[in-house]
Amino acid sequence: MTYILRRLGFYLLSAWVALTINFLLPRLMPGDPATALFARFRGQLAPEAMQALRETFGLTQAPLLTQYLTSLRHVLTGDLGISVAYFPSPVSTVIGTGLVWTVLLAGSAVAISFTIGTLLGLVAAWWRRGWVDTWLPSALVFLGSFPYFWLAMVALFVFGFTLGWFPLGHAYADDVVPAFSTAFVTDVVRHAALPVATMVLATLGGWLLSMRNTTIAVLGSDYVNLARAKGLSPARVALRYAARNALLPSVTGLGMALGFVLGGSLLTEIVFSYPGQGYLLVQAVRNQDYPLMQGIFLVITLAVLAANFLVDLAYLWLDPRIRESAT
Amino acid sequence: MSRRARSHPAACAVILLLASVAAGCTREKPPPPRGVLVVSQEQQASWIRNFNPLTTATAARWPTLAGIYEPLLVFNSVRAEYVPWLATAHEWREANRVLRMTTRDSVLWSDGRPFTARDVAFTFNLLQRFPALDRRGVWGFLSDVRTVDDRTVDFRFQRVFIPGFDEIAAQQIVPEHHWKDVEDPVSYPNENPVATGPFTEVRVFRNQVYELGRNPRYWQRGLPRVEALRFPAYPSNDRATLALVYDEVDWAGNFVPAIERVYVRRQPENHRYWFPLTGSSIFLYANTTRAPFDDVRVRQAVSMSIDRDLLVDVALYRYSRPADATGLSDAYVAWHDSSIAASGDWVRFDVARANALLDEAGLRRGEDGRRRRADGTPLRYEILCVAGWSDWVRAAQVIARGLEAVGVRASVRTYDFSAWFQRVQAGDFDLSLGWSFEGPTPYTFYRWLMASSTVKPLGEASMGNWHRYGSPAADQALHAFELEADPARQKRLADELQRTFVKEAPAIPLYPNPSWAEYSVARFSGFPSQENPYADPSPNKLDRGDCLLVLTALTPR
Repeated sequence: MTYILRRLGFYLLSAWVALTINFLLPRLMPGDPATALFARFRGQLAPEAMQALRETFGLTQAPLLTQYLTSLRHVLTGDLGISVAYFPSPVSTVIGTGLVWTVLLAGSAVAISFTIGTLLGLVAAWWRRGWVDTWLPSALVFLGSFPYFWLAMVALFVFGFTLGWFPLGHAYADDVVPAFSTAFVTDVVRHAALPVATMVLATLGGWLLSMRNTTIAVLGSDYVNLARAKGLSPARVALRYAARNALLPSVTGLGMALGFVLGGSLLTEIVFSYPGQGYLLVQAVRNQDYPLMQGIFLVITLAVLAANFLVDLAYLWLDPRIRESAT
Repeated sequence: MSRRARSHPAACAVILLLASVAAGCTREKPPPPRGVLVVSQEQQASWIRNFNPLTTATAARWPTLAGIYEPLLVFNSVRAEYVPWLATAHEWREANRVLRMTTRDSVLWSDGRPFTARDVAFTFNLLQRFPALDRRGVWGFLSDVRTVDDRTVDFRFQRVFIPGFDEIAAQQIVPEHHWKDVEDPVSYPNENPVATGPFTEVRVFRNQVYELGRNPRYWQRGLPRVEALRFPAYPSNDRATLALVYDEVDWAGNFVPAIERVYVRRQPENHRYWFPLTGSSIFLYANTTRAPFDDVRVRQAVSMSIDRDLLVDVALYRYSRPADATGLSDAYVAWHDSSIAASGDWVRFDVARANALLDEAGLRRGEDGRRRRADGTPLRYEILCVAGWSDWVRAAQVIARGLEAVGVRASVRTYDFSAWFQRVQAGDFDLSLGWSFEGPTPYTFYRWLMASSTVKPLGEASMGNWHRYGSPAADQALHAFELEADPARQKRLADELQRTFVKEAPAIPLYPNPSWAEYSVARFSGFPSQENPYADPSPNKLDRGDCLLVLTALTPR
C-alpha cells in the first residue's frame, strides 16, 4: 500500500511540474494568436482587423504570475478555456472532436503491435535460429527504419490509389451515418485498416526485438533450467517462467506508448486525413492557441502518468519481488 | 540454407493480411447525388460548427461569408465593379457627409421574416457595441447609423471619407430578430444560421463532412440551381490536391504545382483551372529608415538587379507575370495606366544600370568586387521570408543571386511566421518579402505603401507600411481621394498615385499573386473561365462577395 501511495505522490508532483512547463513554454514563443491568424490570410485581411482580433481574444496584459494562478485554478475545476484557432469553441469541445478517433487508431495500433510483436519475440527466442528468428527481426527493423511518412505514403499510393482496395482517407465514408450498426462498424474498420497496418508495421520490430532479447537472457537463467529439469511442459516453461519475467521491460515500454497514444499520431493523421489529436496540436502551435495547446498537453500528461501508474500496478502482479518489498 | 531461401515471410504476411481486410472493398466510390457541389477551401482535420459571420473570419466555416450571409453590395473583383445585392441603390448626401442606402424589397430571411433596413442599422450598431466584431474598422469613420424608413438607412460620417463606402458595402448583414437576444455575439457559434444567402439549411454536420442545403426562400427566384454544398475535411494541401485530382471535389482553391500535368491532363475534357492575377501583390520591402535604402537610387538598383522572368518561372511555375512599376495587380484594370507603368523602367532586369546607379549612390566596389559604404564596411544583407512558404523562399533565392551579381552580399533567412511577422512589423529588417493590402480602389493599396499617416516609429509594431515610407506627394493625392466621389476625378488621383509610386519606388514590386481556382465541369457548368470571366473563380475570394456570384451561376448537369 505504501508503495502505491508513494507512487501516487510522485505522480502528483510530476503532474504539477508538467503543468507549469505547459504554461511557460508556449508563452516564450514570439508573437501572439492575433498575429498568427494573419498567417493564414497572407494579406487578405485588412490591417484594421488586427485590433478587432486582439479585442476578440481578450489578450491579457496581466502579470505572468496572475495568469499562472488563474490557469492552475481553471485546470483544477476542469475549465480548459476557449480555443483561439477554433474560436469560440471551448477547448474541451475541440479536443472532443478527435479524441475518440485518436484512441481508436493509435490505441488499436499499439495493442496489435505489442501483442503480435511480443508473441513473435517469444517465438523467435524459443526457436532460436528458426526461420522466424532469422528473417523476421531484420525484415521488420528494415521496414521500421524507413521514415514513417514515406511508408504511409507508399501504402496509401499502392493500396489506396493503384489497387483501390482501401479508401483514401477519413475515419468513415461521407455517406455513412454514424450509428452502432454493422454497416458503420465495417466502414470504420475499412478506413482504419491501412493507417493501423502501417503503424503496426513501423513499430512491430521494436517490440519483437526487445522481447526476443530479454527472453534469450531469461532462458539462460537458473530458474528456467530448474523448471525444465523438473520436467514441466515446454508451454508452461515458456509462458509462466520465461515470458512472464521477460515481459517486464516491454511492459514499461507499453506504458510509455499507451501514454503517448493520446498525443495522436501526427503523420498518420496527415497522410490519411484521419481526424485526431496530432493535427489539432499542430494547429494549436501554428496559431499560438495557448488554451488548446495547454489542453492537449494536459491530456497527454495525464495519460502518460496514468499509463505509468497502470504499469506500476502491472509490475506488482508480474514481479513478486516488488510485491514482497511493498507489503 | 534451403530453409532461408524459402520465403520472405514478413512481406507475404503483410500482403496477405492487407488483402484479407481489403476483401470486398470496391474501387469506385459512388459520386455525390446530382446537384451536390463538393467544395474544398479550408484545410482542417475535423469541422467545428461555427457560422458566425461577424466574428473573426478564420473561425467561421467557409460558406458563412461565401454563401450564407450576404453583403450590401458585392464587389466583382475581375470586372472591378459593384453589383447591387441587399442594397439596390446608394447616394451621397449633405456634402458627402451622409451615405444613404436603399435596401432591396422582397428579400426574406431563411425563417420567413422580411429583411428590412432595420436589420442593416442593427448590424452596424452591433459592431459599434462590440468593437471585436468591427474587423473593417467602420466605426473609425462613422458617427451614426439609423433607418429613415423600412427601406432606407443613413450612414453619417465623422468626416468626408469616400473610401468608407467600400467597407460599408462589404459588411455581411445579420437578422435583428435573431441576434438581438444573443448575449455575446463575439463568441456565439450560430449553429443554425438564419440568413438571406443562397445556402442556409445545415443538412448534415459531422466532424469530417457537412452539408448545406439551398435556401428555399432565396430572393433571386429560381436560384440557386445547386441543390446543396458538401464539405469534406482534408487536413493538408497535398491531401486536398489528391482529392481534387481523383474527382472527390468539384471546386477548390488550392495551390497545385504543375497543374497542366497533375490535374488537367487526367481528364482534359472536364478538369479546368483559371488563375486570374487578382491576388495581392508580392513586394520586396527595403527598410527605408536604414541607409542605404533611404536612397531611391539604391532601391531602384536593387529592383533592376532582379531577373523577374526567372523569378516568376522558378517561384511560381509561371502562374504569374513580372510586376510593372505601379505594383498594381489585374484587380485594378480599371485604374491601371499602362503609359505610367511603362515610364518606370526600374523594374526591368538591367545589371549594367543597376551597377551604375549603385556607383552613383557612393556604394563603390572594393578590390574584392564587393560594394562598400563610404566608411568601408561591406554591404551585406539578409532577405527575410517565412519558413515553409516555398514560393517566397525560391523568390528570395533569385533575388539574392541578383544582388550578388551587382556586388552586394545577400543571403536568404527564413523564420517561422510569427517570428518573421514580429520583426517585419517592428521594422527590424533590411530586406524582406511581403504582401500588399488590397481594396476595391488603389486607395488602400497605396495608402499602406506610402502614406505618412501609416508610418510608425521603428520598434513599434505596424500593421502595414513595414518599410516605413511616407511621401508628401502621395499624402496629398490620398487625402484628395478621400474627399472625391466623382469616378473620373478619382481616376486622375489614382494616376497621380501611380506616378508618385513609379517616381519614388517606396517598395520593390515582384509579381501579383494569382487567385487559385480549380474545378471540374463533369457535374456542374457555369464556372467563371478565361472565356467567360464574369467573376473571380476562386473560392478563396470571399470577403467582398465574389463567391456569391459563382454559387448563384452554377448549374448541375
